This record gives sequence, structure tokens and C-alpha cells, in this order.
Amino acid sequence: MALQVNVNDILTQLYSQRGVVEFLFANRENVTVNELLNRNDISQDQYQRLKSLDLVYEYESIVSLNDAVVAMFEDFMEIGEVTPGFINDYINELNRYIRFYQDAREMRFLRSIKKYLKRINGALTREIIKLQKNVDDTYKNESNYRIKLQKLEAYREKRDTIIDFIKKTSDVVEQTRALFSLTNDSELYGIVQSLKVSLIENLDYLIEIQTDITDFINKIQFQLDVYKKAQRLKEIKDHGTLHFKTGFKEVVNNVNTLKYNGHKTPKTKIAVDTLYTDDGHVLCKRIAEKYKLTRLMIRGIADKMSSNFKDKGLEQQIKLDTEKLVERFLTQKKNNLFEYLIEYKFPKAIGTVTFEERLSLFVEIAMEYQTKLDFKYRLNYFDYLDNEQKKKRLGYTLILPIEDKPKSKKEKV
Amino acid sequence: MLAEDFNLPKQTHDIFAVMARGNFISSNGSKDGMNRLYDIINNPENFERLQAYFNVIRYNIERGNNYFYFSKLHEPNSELEKKLERFERYIDIIDLFASMDNKITIGSRFRPSEIAEECNANVRLKQKLQKIPLYRSETLHNKVREICDLMSRDSYLELEDEKTESYKVLDAYTYLLDVINSIAIYEESDNSDANTINYN
Repeated sequence: MALQVNVNDILTQLYSQRGVVEFLFANRENVTVNELLNRNDISQDQYQRLKSLDLVYEYESIVSLNDAVVAMFEDFMEIGEVTPGFINDYINELNRYIRFYQDAREMRFLRSIKKYLKRINGALTREIIKLQKNVDDTYKNESNYRIKLQKLEAYREKRDTIIDFIKKTSDVVEQTRALFSLTNDSELYGIVQSLKVSLIENLDYLIEIQTDITDFINKIQFQLDVYKKAQRLKEIKDHGTLHFKTGFKEVVNNVNTLKYNGHKTPKTKIAVDTLYTDDGHVLCKRIAEKYKLTRLMIRGIADKMSSNFKDKGLEQQIKLDTEKLVERFLTQKKNNLFEYLIEYKFPKAIGTVTFEERLSLFVEIAMEYQTKLDFKYRLNYFDYLDNEQKKKRLGYTLILPIEDKPKSKKEKV
Repeated sequence: MLAEDFNLPKQTHDIFAVMARGNFISSNGSKDGMNRLYDIINNPENFERLQAYFNVIRYNIERGNNYFYFSKLHEPNSELEKKLERFERYIDIIDLFASMDNKITIGSRFRPSEIAEECNANVRLKQKLQKIPLYRSETLHNKVREICDLMSRDSYLELEDEKTESYKVLDAYTYLLDVINSIAIYEESDNSDANTINYN
């Protein structure tokens, strides 16, 4: 590396350019410098800084992430190419440290032994998962069948290699059992135990992968064979003898897929009620426009109801009543407005009208029918019991119907 | 009985919408979450429930190699003429695909222009393509395009990228191969080995 770097620098750079790093990781093969710089989340300077830290490479104007960074991401996400080779290195290292430990029983060697045992365990599992993913992916997504076959064969070899490593590892563990039990180290014991378990597990997985690979190869082989057959059928067909020299008719007759049996997509009629809704109206309108039918275009969409339409409705109801109420009030001369409202027997349909409601009605009438009423600008008082049965007194303006010679009645209760 | 009693996956409607049209659900399809639907049906528990549920309305889920489709229960197969015609066309198309240098198999990705180009360079292929009936398009490229369009409507292919016009072969393609494989060729004994191809 060109510059002296530390973990902090690298992490800071990767983090601050995380959008770019993600983009580069996702499009590993084909990002050009211009393409990258055209993204608005990186400037020329920032790009240079990434380059100076060797986090990205540029080759013939193609940008790519540093392989080490890519490898790290791939390892964490358990994707990428299967590379079982380095398990071998781990096993060699393990053996080396075991020899050291046999010579000199020192803790530092034991620590390394533990480290490598753990690494082997992790690496084996990871490689197997990657192998599984890659085999599946190759079969389903590799476009060239010759490459596909070769790749699958290669994976078969890799599988064999991994099996070898598993055997080697379990041999090592077996041979050193006595040595390990001498150490009396419970952590080491745990590591060895879990390693043994996962070795057996991994072998099972590998057997499964093996059947998968064989299966896939067979399928590809099958496809190629069918292709040969299709070509022969085509030949027969070109000779005009397809229906006579082959079982074509019978086989096709037995085809039971929906599509080839004249089944159309299930079609349903529109429910009549739907047509009366607003959506239905829009539909009708569109059809009407298409066929120039004016008949269907008349009815308009109702306006959107306001959220408090319910309250408004109530108010209107009362208003209708008030008009008549006022008329009736105007024809009588016995009571003033307040008394009249308090004592008025509303029709049963309205239900019980509370004192508060009568009061608001009083205010409403007073405001709306100013011109028809005679305001006396004098206060009368009304005593009543409130909800808590306390005595209360209310003052109100004396309001009378307009008369030729208005008479005010002063009443005190 | 309520629909909830079946304890169906919530994608049941989507599954029905695809399959009732006679289309396949393939494991490597990516449009409209097809692979997700595949996984849902492929779950043994879901499969049993869905099967029971659709059986009520006389649909049967058929399982193929990495794909599913519907068939109708207890119903005579009809429209033999049309069926024969369609499958004859499929033989033409598959024959063309089989004769390509870079054979188109499951998981293959290709662009119509590639095929057209290859047909242009190879007289035998060119003839094959031109002889495929029912297409009105004149240029080779448009003809290949129409074939691809037809195949993707039948859910054997998927238009993966509209910009580059690249198609992907779905698992349902196996269905066609299976049908072709089950056709027996009489008379010639030297070719009978084709019937004993072993695959699983």
C-alpha cells in the first residue's frame, strides 16, 4: 500500500462512501469511472481519496473495489466463489502448532491450536453453504450449457476436496485426543466437541450436495437428449408423417394443462350494485364516452361528504323545527321567548330536549330572528337545579314577539 | 366453512391469478415475485392446504421439476385440433433452439438479436426460422421476437430486462421437454433408446 494506513482511516472512508461501496459491490464487473463520478454521492476528490487508500482500483477506466474488501463482504455474507484451498493451510498450521505443543507445553501454542480449530470449523461450514448456493445458482442461472456442465463438474471436485479436508481434520482430532485430554482445558474440549458434531453434519450436507449436482447434470443431459429428439421429430414432421409415425397425437391429447384445453381466464360479470357506486360511475362514463352514449353520462358523482356531515344534518333538522317554533311563538302572547322554550313540549320524535339544548335554541333564535322579535334589553332571572342538584340562577334577556304596543312582562320566580 | 379455516397463505389469490390463466409458476422466475410464489407452494404444508382448497373448485395443482401448474379435475380434454397445432409449433421452436450453437436451456439468458444474428449466419437455421408458420413479421429479428413474445406469454420465458430485451428461460420449459420426451417414435428400433433416457 502506498500510504501508511490504519483501521480507522479505512473504516471512515468506507463508511462515508458507503453508498458508492455498496454500488460497486453490487456491480462488480462493469462500472466505469465516468459512471461512478456521475453519481451525485461522490465527488472527484472523494474518489481520489478512495483511490489513494487503495480501496478502489481503476483499470482501463473500469473501477472495482479492492479484492480484500470484496472478499471480506463475501465472507460475511457467505456468497462468492467456493475456495476450499485455505482450509488446507489452516490444517497445516494446526498440525504445526500441535507439534510445537508436543515439544513444549506452552499456553501460547494452545491458544493458536484453539484458534485454528475454530477457524477450520467456521470455514468448512461457510464453504459448504457457498457450495450449495453456487451449485443451485449455476443450474438455474448459468446461460451457457457447456459452461454450466463444466462448472458443475468443478463443484463436484471441490466437494471431494472438502470431504478430504473433513477426513483430515477428524484424523487430526482423533490422533491428538490423548494430548488434548492431557491439557485439561475445558474450552478446548468444547471446541473439539462442537467441531466433531459439525464435521458429521457437514458430511451429510455434502452428500446432499452431491446428489444435487448429479441431479442437475442429469437434467442438463436430459435436456440435450430431448433436443436431439426434438430435432428428429422435426424431421419426421417435415416429412409429413408426424401424426402417423409417432405417438404425438396421443401424448398431446393427454396434455392436461389449462392453457391447452381452451380454458380462458375465469371471467366474472360486474355486480349491478357496483355500477351505482362512484367507481362504477367512472366506469360507466368511460364506456359511455367510448360508445358516445349520452344516456350514461348524465348522472354525476356526488360531492365528497364533509367529515362533519352528520352534525350538519342534525342542525338542519332543528332549524326546520325552529322556523315553525318561531312562528308559533309569534302567535302567542302569554310567555316570553325563554319561558316559551323552556316549557315547550317538543314532539316525541325529537326525543327529550335537555335544558342546555333549549338554552342554545334560545340563543340561536335570538340571533337568527332578530327582526321578528322585540328585544327588551332587560334581564329576567330563572332558577333551576343543575346536574349536581345545586340551585342556580340564570339571567336572560326578555324577548317578546313584535307587537303594535309591546308589553313586557316582568316575572320573577 | 370460512376461507380462514383452510389456513391458506395470503398469496393464494396471486397464485390462483397466475395459474388459472394456464400459466406456470417457475422457481427461477423473478417477475411479480414469482419465485416467492413458488416457495410458498413448495412448502409441503401450504401445498396440501392449497391442493385441498383448489380441489374444491376442481382445479388440481400439478407439480413438475421446479414448476407448478393447474389442471382441471374430471374434465374431458378438448380442442384436440388446436392442441396439436400448438405443439407442432412448439416442436418447430424447440428444434430451432436445439440447433443453436449456444443451446438454450433452463436458466439461459439470451437476446432475440443474438438468435437472429446466428440464424443470419447459418443457412440451415435461417431456413428453419423462416419456415416456422403463423408469423407475419418479415425480418428475422422480428420473427425471433415474436417467438420470444409467444413463449413468454405461455410463461416458458421471461422478459428479464426490457431495455436490453434479454429473456430468461424458466423452469416451466422442462414441461415442454417432458412432453416431447414422452412422444414415442415408432418403427425405427435404433432410436428407441431416446425413450429410456433416465432423468430424475
